Formats: sequence, structure tokens, C-alpha cells
Amino acid sequence: MRKRTLALNIGMGILVSILAFVLIPAYSQEDIVTLEDDAFGDRQRPAAVFAHEEHNEKAEIEECNVCHHLYQHGEKVEDESSESMGCADCHNVKEGYPTMPLMKAYHDMCQGCHKEKGEGPITCGECHPRGEPVASHETAH
Amino acid sequence: MAEPAKRIEDAGLDEGAAKLTPEKIEKVINGVLAAEGGARLKVYVDTCVHCGLCSDACHYYLSHDKDPTYSPVGKVKQTLWPILKNKGRVSPEFIKKASEIASTECNLCRRCVHYCPMGVDIAYLMVMVRRICHRLGVTPLYIQDTAHSHSATMNQMWVKEDEWIDSLQWQEDEARDEIPTLRIPLEKEGADVMYSIIGPEPKFRAQLIYQAAVIMDLAGVDWTMPASTGWDNSDMCMFTGEFEMMGRLKRDHFEAAQRLKVKKIVMGECGHAYRSVYDVGNRWLGWKWPPVPVIHAAQFFYELLRDGKIKVAKKFDEVVTIQDPCNIVRGMGLHEKVRYVVKAFCKDVVEMEPNRDHNFCCCAGGGVINCGPPWKMKRMHGNRVKAEQLAATGVKTVISPCHNCHGGIEDIIHHYKLGMHLKFLGDIIYDCMEKPGAV
Amino acid sequence: MHGLYNFVRGPLAWVAFILFIGGSLYRLISMYKLARKKDVFVFEYTTLYFALRSILHWIIPFGNINSRNRPIFTIVTFAFHICLLAVPIFLLAHIILWDESFNINWWSLPDGVADIMALIVVAGCGYFLWRRLTQPEAKFVTSAGDYVILAIVAAPFITGFLAYHQWLGYKFWLILHILSGEIWLAAIPFTRLSHMLFFPLNRAYIGSEFGAVRHVRDY
Ligand code: HEM
Ligand code: HEM
Ligand code: SF4
Ligand code: SF4
Repeated sequence: MRKRTLALNIGMGILVSILAFVLIPAYSQEDIVTLEDDAFGDRQRPAAVFAHEEHNEKAEIEECNVCHHLYQHGEKVEDESSESMGCADCHNVKEGYPTMPLMKAYHDMCQGCHKEKGEGPITCGECHPRGEPVASHETAH
Repeated sequence: MAEPAKRIEDAGLDEGAAKLTPEKIEKVINGVLAAEGGARLKVYVDTCVHCGLCSDACHYYLSHDKDPTYSPVGKVKQTLWPILKNKGRVSPEFIKKASEIASTECNLCRRCVHYCPMGVDIAYLMVMVRRICHRLGVTPLYIQDTAHSHSATMNQMWVKEDEWIDSLQWQEDEARDEIPTLRIPLEKEGADVMYSIIGPEPKFRAQLIYQAAVIMDLAGVDWTMPASTGWDNSDMCMFTGEFEMMGRLKRDHFEAAQRLKVKKIVMGECGHAYRSVYDVGNRWLGWKWPPVPVIHAAQFFYELLRDGKIKVAKKFDEVVTIQDPCNIVRGMGLHEKVRYVVKAFCKDVVEMEPNRDHNFCCCAGGGVINCGPPWKMKRMHGNRVKAEQLAATGVKTVISPCHNCHGGIEDIIHHYKLGMHLKFLGDIIYDCMEKPGAV
Repeated sequence: MHGLYNFVRGPLAWVAFILFIGGSLYRLISMYKLARKKDVFVFEYTTLYFALRSILHWIIPFGNINSRNRPIFTIVTFAFHICLLAVPIFLLAHIILWDESFNINWWSLPDGVADIMALIVVAGCGYFLWRRLTQPEAKFVTSAGDYVILAIVAAPFITGFLAYHQWLGYKFWLILHILSGEIWLAAIPFTRLSHMLFFPLNRAYIGSEFGAVRHVRDY
């Protein structure tokens, strides 16, 4: 997975871009339902299910930067937020330095909070369900 | 092969077991385990994964059409496992059966070690069972009698000192008819080599002493034999589990060599004796290596031939096969040296399959033949594979540098009507070597 | 709902690892002491060369006579043991847990490959079970404990597989998986699975007794 040849990388990159080009318009009007970060390339697990609006309502999150945080020089900048950026802009898939690797960043962001609050999914399969994440789609609308 | 259904009577086992009480059994077993049951016992029993892979190693198992009660681990299951599990609370009847299995259904040949992925030494475990049975006084009668002979006379055959000296002088006389200058030097202090043999040689096979003397003499070896105890290197006590006596025997043997101030001990063509002197007895006495270097006759002959001390006059005009004695192949890796000598003296060798350090035991070793006539058929039924191996070679002569192999294979040859006969290396060398001084 | 999961993943996992590591150390050290007391020659005779010779001949497929005589068994047991050791160590899900808890991570197997390897382990257990039930030489020396061991060994792989595929109640299988994995670990020092600890030591000694003392092979 992490070890892929360059050719495969480029190939997958092109494929993902085409897919994104086709799919993004279809989804753009809807609420986000999965965190399908293109940066991962070919993935080991189905993308994590995440119904943005529903989640934030349930979790009573008002501020964007609770999740879309921005760090500068290792410090969290309190009043800034980063929703205009992709997570992968700062978090590399591979190297952890200076930021957390991308997968860990996602895991930490979601699970960290879920564990703290004692609510929400914390096991692999709860976020990465096999097959079509039908239930989430439905509840998302 | 059908196992004789009738129970085999053996006074050593029957009367020994009749004297036991459960209390005594428990006490003795726990005493032995506490004093002698070390890490090896524990690890071997604990890590055996009960896979049964050792089975294919054992000639008893193979010869009984893969009856698992004869497999190496099967024998442990029937003896040591219940003893350990019940912490010594087993019946006299159980002890009797355990003694029978450990003494007459395992040759301690260690072939199964080549087959066990865990490296469990089943022979060691069977010796542990024999040790317990010995301490309980339940050992097959014939071998116990031999062990008594060791205790009383320091040799295996109740040979008295004058009879021993007499036998040597008699053989010296005989040999001087052939080589007039020949001596069998008794008690020669400072000789290079002390030659030691097993009790049965003066008793039944004095001819072998004659032949050895001729070879020593013609090879120009500065040699001697002890006139008092220590001449017998054999050891039934090692096999009955009477280790205290084994220690005395080995000490006596080494002390004879030290008294004679020899450079090394050469042992006659016997496997078990070599095991007891080189591998087992020295350890019991606390010597990592024997205090006086010891070599088996097969190695000695190899060295004489290699160094040109003995020369081939004519080839033994027959194709032969070689019965590898476990105690000098798995016991010392001498298989190629044996072949070196045999190939020099014989027309050709047809190997049995498997051979060398993967050989099958003769089924006499480990003291099994010494359990005597009551148990003979166990050896015959327990080694059908050897009969098949021998028959497949199609030759008439089997060479084997081991007394036990001779006894065992001879019985098999008769029982299975194979029409073959056995020779020692010494027989062939004596027959076919150059004899410059002979008349 | 977090409660049970957190318990098996937290305190129980600590217990399992302490039993596994502490128990293994205890077994090794107490055996060392016993050997020092009762079998000193073990230390006298063991040599590095013959220890390695023996171990290598028995961990390389077809390196010894018995494994050549039984090719099917050899292939099964090697596939079984390699997968058995590699999957828990190199499984992505496990490494993520290590990373989350202790910030350590290492190379991982692709999930699809690990999935197949888990099935190989289960199939291996099936083969061993079949041997125990049908092959006289194994059947004769099999007792209830041997089936229990096989069950302990197979359980984390079966439950892990089911959890991974999220069939029939994901969380149930996951919690059962973690529990069975913990039993698996804790059982190693205290059952016949301790052959993992003693195999190299046993071989080192017997290989040296054969090689250094008696100048012969043990394979
Ligand atoms: C402390 C103990 C353990 C924990 C917390 C743990 C946790 C996990 C987790 C979270 C998964 C992923 C499930 C999923 O994909 O949703 C998993 C899968 C798996 N684990 Fe464990 N595990 C433990 C011990 C073990 C042990 C000891 C073994 C093996 C001996 C093992 C073998 C497996 C296997 C085979 C899979 C599934 C792989 C597949 O089929 O793709 N686990 N484990
Ligand atoms: C490095 C470590 C290990 C080595 C060298 C090793 C070696 C062996 C060997 C030589 C056998 C004998 C039979 C055969 O070849 O299959 C065996 C059997 C077995 N091993 Fe291992 N093993 C190791 C680790 C483990 C572990 C960690 C487990 C499970 C926790 C395990 C489970 C088993 C089982 C269940 C059997 C018995 C199969 C049967 O029922 O016949 N092994 N192992
Ligand atoms: S006779 Fe040889 S192969 Fe059979 S159990 Fe005894 S030592 Fe092992
Ligand atoms: S091969 Fe070794 S581990 Fe397997 S049953 Fe025999 S003695 Fe036990």
C-alpha cells in the first residue's frame, strides 16, 4: 500500500482525478457523506462515512475550526480556520514531520473527540463500513 | 504383524511389581523426579506438541504396521505422562507395563530425534522411566542379572579374574601358532593404547581377542590390556537406570587406563559400551569429556589403514552390506570411517536404505536383547523393517562393528530366514590384511 | 457502548501483554535456573555453531529428513506458522492501534493479503484438527487439551476475519476478537504453545549434543 511504484502512483492519480471530475459535480450540491480524501490514492478500507451536517448538529459543533484547525509553528491559531484547505495540504500521507501523517490526523481528529466525549464510533468498522454506506446516505438527507 | 496375545512372564517384572505398594511408588517416583528431573525432562514433556511426527522414525512402529502404541511419543504417553500427571500415584500394574515398554519396546537408538521438530530426546525420557522402575525394583530379570554381575565382578558375565587372564593367555598361545612373536601384553605400564572389550568376548567369542591381537601386533601398536577389573567396558547398568553402578564401572575402566598410563583407550567393536564410556558414564561422573581419550575400534581401524599401518592383501570376494550401529553413527558419526575400511577390504558395498546416521536400529540395542529369551519375539516382530531392508540388498554378508547389532541381526536373519551372516570389521581385516610375520 | 470495547482494549490488553511477556520471561528464567542446577552439561555442550545449524535446519522448509518425507505437512506447517506470526505483527489495524497508543508504527501488510493469510492460519488449524481426528499416530496422543489449544490458536483469526468483513454483527466479533487475541497471547507461556519459547533452546542443545559431542547431524 504505502509502497507503490511511481508508475502506479501516476496511473492512480490520473484515475482519481478523472473520477473526481465526474463525481464532484454530482455531489457538490449534497451534504458531504464520506471523507474520501484523494490524497490516499488506493485505499485499504472504504472511505470513512461522515455526514457533515448531521454530525455537527448531533455533536453540537458551531465553530468550523473545532475540526478545521490551523497550526502555525506548532501552535494552534485560535481564531483561524482551514476549511478552504484540504487536510492533505498540511498532512502528508507518508511522512509525519512536521505534521501528523494524514491517516493518523483523521483518526486522531475523529476518535480523539469520540473517546473524550464517550460517544461516536471508535472502531475500524464503524467508520469504514463494507459495502454501500446506505444508512448514512439516508440519514444524511 | 500380529503381536503375541499371551502375556509374557518375566520374574523381574512380575515379582518386582508384586512387592510394590502405591505409597512406595509415589514416594520413589517423587524422589527421583525431585532429585533428577531437571530442565530437560520438563521442557521435553511440556513442549512436545503431540504431533506424532516422530512415529515414522521408529522401527517398532513401522514394523507393527504403524501401530501408534509403538510410536516414540506413544511410548511416552503410556509411561511418563501418567506418572507426571498423577504425581506418582500410579498402580504396580502400571509400573510393570511402563517398565516393559521402556525396557523392551525402545532401543534408545535416538533415531526419533532426527524426526522430532522440537528436538525431544525420547531415548532420554525412556531412560528416565527405566530409572524410576529400577528404583522400584521392577526391571526385566535377565538384564537385571547382568547388572548384578557388574556389581559383583565389575564385568558383565561373572568372569573371575583368573578366568580373564587365562582367556587372554589362551588366545595368545593360539595366536603364536600363527605369529610366533605375538604377545598380548598384560598390565604394560606406559603403553600407548589400552584395549578394552566387553564381557562376552572372553566368555563366548574369544576368537575376537585373537584377531584383535593379530591386528595390533602386525600394525606395530604399543598396546596392553588390564589384568584386573576395568577391562570390561560394557555397561548394562546404564540401560537399567542403575546409574550409581554405571558410574563405578566407568570410573574403574578409566582408572585402569590411568593406572597403566596409556595415551588412549581403544574399545572393541561394541556400540553400547562406547556410548556408556564416551557419552553417558563420563557425564554421570562429572567429566565433560572422558578423562582419557577413547576411540571405538572402527575409528582405530580407519586410522591404522589411513596411516598405512595395516595393508590390504586381498579383497574379501563378496558384495557386502553395512549395518550401522546406532551408538557409533548417531553416537559418534563414524559411518564414513566404517565405509572407508569396508570399501578398502571388500569387493563392493550395497547400502540398505536408509543408512549411515539415518539407519534403522538392529532392535537389540539399548539393553533390549539383554532382557533375554522371554522378550525375543518382541525384537523379531519389532524389526520387520530391518528384515525387509536386509533382504532388499540381496547380499549374503552383513558387516557390523557392534556386538549388539550382531546378536540382533543374527536373530532377525534366522527368524525371517534371510540366509545371511554377519562379520565384524576385525573379521574382515584379519582375513584380508597383509601378515608379514605369519607362518 | 464504548465501555466494553474500552475495557478489552485497555486494561485487559495490558493484562494480556503482561502475562505474555512476564510469563515468557518467568518460564525462561526459571528453566534457566533449573538447568543450571540439574543439567549443567547443557551449558557445557551447547555451541553457537551447532545451535544455529540445528535451528536453521528446522526452520528452513525441507531442511531435515522428516520434512522431506512429509511434503504436504511441511508446506502446511510453514504456511501456518509464517502467517500466524506475520499477521498479528504486521496487520495494519494492529499497527494503527500501536500508533494511537504509543506513537510507534512499522511496515504493514496490505489488508487483502493479511486477510488471505488469516484464512491460511484457520485452514492450517483445520488440517491439524483433521490429523488429530483421523491419523492414528496423532490421534493416539491427542487429548482434550490439544483441541483446546487449536481452538485458542484459531479463534483470533476466525473472529478477526469476521470482524474485518463485518459480517453478522461487527462490534460483537470485534470484541470477541480482542478477547480471543488476549487469550492467545496469555496462553503462550503457560501451555504447549510455549514451544515458541523453547523450540530454539531445545534445538540449540540437542543440535549441539549431536553436533559437538557426537559429531553427527540432528536433521
Ligand atoms: C490485544 C489484542 C488485539 C487487539 C486490540 C486487536 C485488534 C484488532 C482490530 C481492531 C482488528 C481490525 C478489525 C477490523 O478490520 O475491523 C483486528 C483484526 C485482526 N486481528 Fe487483531 N487484535 C488483537 C490481537 C490479535 C491477535 C493476538 C491475533 C492473532 C493471533 C490477531 C489477529 C487478527 C486478525 C487475523 C485480524 C483480521 C485480519 C483479516 O482477516 O483481514 N489479533 N484486530
Ligand atoms: C517462532 C516460533 C514457533 C516455532 C519455531 C514453532 C514451531 C512449531 C513446530 C516445529 C511444530 C511441530 C509440528 C509442526 O511442525 O507443525 C509446531 C506446532 C504447532 N504450533 Fe508452533 N511454532 C512457533 C510458534 C507458534 C505460535 C506462536 C503458535 C500459536 C500461538 C503456534 C502454534 C502451533 C500449533 C497449534 C501447533 C500444533 C499443530 C498440531 O496440532 O499438530 N506455534 N510449531
Ligand atoms: S527405539 Fe529408537 S526410534 Fe524408537 S522410540 Fe526408541 S529411541 Fe526412538
Ligand atoms: S515429534 Fe516431537 S513434538 Fe511431535 S509428538 Fe513426537 S516427541 Fe512430541
